[in-house]
Amino acid sequence: MNEEKEVEEQSIPLVLEKLEEHHADALLSQDEMRGTIVAVVRKEQVYAVLEYLKTDPELAYTFLVDVTAVDNSQMESELMQFDYARFMVVYQLYSYQGQCRVRVKVPVHENDLSVPSVTGLWRGANWLERETYDMFGINFEGHPDLRRILTPDDFQGHPLQKDYPLRGRGERESFNFDKQNA
Amino acid sequence: MGLTNTDIQSAQGAEQTDGNIITTTIDKVINWGRKNSLWPMPFGTACCAIEMMATLASKFDLSRFGSEAIRFSPRQSDLLIVSGRISIKMMPVLKRIYDQMPDPKWVISMGACASCGGVFDTYTLIQGVDQFIPVDVYIPGCPPRPEDLIDAVLQVQQKIASGASPKGVEHLLET
Amino acid sequence: MQGGQERATGEKMVLNFGPQHPATHGTLRIVLELDGESILKATPHAGYLHTGFEKLGEHLDYNQYIVVTDRMNYLSPLSNNFGYVLAVEQLLGIEVPKRCQYIRLLMAELSRVADHLLWLGTAALDLGAFSVFLYSFREREKLYSIFEKTTGARLTTSYTRVGGVLRDLYDGCEEDVRQFVSNFPKALKETHTLLTRNRIWMDRTKGVGAISPDDAIDYGLTGPCLRATGVAHDIRKVEPYSSYDEVTFDVPVGTNGDVYDRYLVRMEEMIQSCGIITQVLDNMPDGPVNVEDNKITMPNKSDAYGHIEGLIHHFKIVMDGHGVQLPKGEHYCATESPNGELGFYIVSDGSGTAYRIRIRPPSFFHFQALPHMLEGGMVSDTVAVLGSLNVIAGELDR
Repeated sequence: MNEEKEVEEQSIPLVLEKLEEHHADALLSQDEMRGTIVAVVRKEQVYAVLEYLKTDPELAYTFLVDVTAVDNSQMESELMQFDYARFMVVYQLYSYQGQCRVRVKVPVHENDLSVPSVTGLWRGANWLERETYDMFGINFEGHPDLRRILTPDDFQGHPLQKDYPLRGRGERESFNFDKQNA
Repeated sequence: MGLTNTDIQSAQGAEQTDGNIITTTIDKVINWGRKNSLWPMPFGTACCAIEMMATLASKFDLSRFGSEAIRFSPRQSDLLIVSGRISIKMMPVLKRIYDQMPDPKWVISMGACASCGGVFDTYTLIQGVDQFIPVDVYIPGCPPRPEDLIDAVLQVQQKIASGASPKGVEHLLET
Repeated sequence: MQGGQERATGEKMVLNFGPQHPATHGTLRIVLELDGESILKATPHAGYLHTGFEKLGEHLDYNQYIVVTDRMNYLSPLSNNFGYVLAVEQLLGIEVPKRCQYIRLLMAELSRVADHLLWLGTAALDLGAFSVFLYSFREREKLYSIFEKTTGARLTTSYTRVGGVLRDLYDGCEEDVRQFVSNFPKALKETHTLLTRNRIWMDRTKGVGAISPDDAIDYGLTGPCLRATGVAHDIRKVEPYSSYDEVTFDVPVGTNGDVYDRYLVRMEEMIQSCGIITQVLDNMPDGPVNVEDNKITMPNKSDAYGHIEGLIHHFKIVMDGHGVQLPKGEHYCATESPNGELGFYIVSDGSGTAYRIRIRPPSFFHFQALPHMLEGGMVSDTVAVLGSLNVIAGELDR
């Protein structure tokens, strides 16, 4: 158990150190929150950074834990920090080798709602990206099958955007029985 | 068939004249048969489905009330138990299953979510399946206890015995 | 059961499985393309139970949201309650008293047993072993009665609170749990005799739906499904939370990653959980069950009725927007739920309501990997593989 702890403590700076070394131009900011490293990277380089994190033998973040997004449109401080990018796409990674986590975030502007897809790196990213598209409307470029996943195919809008009302826009009362995809 | 005179007398309105002759109406005999052999079609989606399973399993044993013949084909069943949340994506499926059931058919709306949306007043959840299909018995609770489900089945049995029509055909009778 | 079969071009047949089918345990749907009896392509569809949990999290305060977590994985609500409040507490930067940690641990392990029992019953039922269903529900009913006495509800427990639990264990809880734990291995052995060396069970499960460790990690599989492939990864061991480092237990692993191994791993996990429960009961510390900070947990009823401070604290906690307030920031907290890694990612803007709650459900990944396990197999394996994954629709669709 002690050995594991040591590895963890060493590898926390290691991630940032190595990112600084190999992808310094991609890093927008770095932080540590409650024991997890958070790296904010540029959209253009996010695929390269994630590929590096996955394939580097010392880091080996082989497990894509989660892909999601946050709509920062009602969080002024976050908006200011990243050039008024409305959305933040969040990747959670875990390394079985180093037994540690890292969070990679990518600011996305509303006028260019797209992020490169990482389905080529992890097959598990497929549905996660579909869900993020469904809930936030973010397009994942290069995704093989970017369809809605949780809401019906003819659903309008993206429910987790902050301007979407909790009780919806009348979908509950007026929906089409005939569409029948069952 | 193993039926005794007292069994037959329990069918409402049956009168025993003497010996082996009883008089009653065909309707009452049919209703008595229907009442004691409900075949439920469980439409279980969420938490309530687990309690429905518990009702069918060892401790509560729904077969004591003649309703253990669970049929997953709507065409073979006459009691639809809607247990769990119904989303707007699921509602067309539920409607289709209801339509596929032969008349007379009865519907139990089990739990708060099926009856009124429960704690989930959100964009995707139907706020009560009775907006789209007729419901005969509602069960409160989140989720209801197995005893509540048994009680609902007994209420359906009472309705059948009293000769009442299911909600689904009432509008046909009025005209 | 929609049973929609239609002839596609050539010899291919499309078989629609679900969303209402006895073996889908809820609302899962798979569209299978068949050539005779072998599966060419399987396409799972999700979303039939989408409830808007994550959106709801932006409108409820931190204690109200516990109620919602119950209804996510309804086989083991206590584990969800636990995982959620742990995320909130870690972001808040507080640690609950030792007794509370132990009580939560006890409840989480009991609910792991309850979850695996229901999985066992339904998975066996799908393959035609009806008696196993009755056996496992018999044991599960005993757990229901413990849960009900502790929390007031059989299924939707809402037992944890931010900074503690609803109430301490009831008098006689220890005896009830000890009695359950001492009888349980015997009851499980009955199932072993029914299934483990059963020719039919082995034929239907061995080598079926196998997945390699690398593929499992690539698809994001966690929990028993990952451990069945031979990866000995358990968050309770590598990132011990809430006193899991003070109990000893083994992490059972499989070798082939098939349905049979998933069955064996889950069976052994139940025994290991019983071991943890015994240790927890042996070492249960005394003391308070809530953090002694009235800005976070409710004051005693006598204080609320008898003292002005108590009344003010009570009022502030239950008032909208005055309850538990989290510092601005974000945190991802993972716990080992019975199904695998259950993560809560909370973004707080410093108010009493979360700015964003993201739930990382293990079932989402398991269901996604289903085509990988099915394609090339036989159509009758679908039910066996789907049953072995224990996909919970409430958790999958949220």
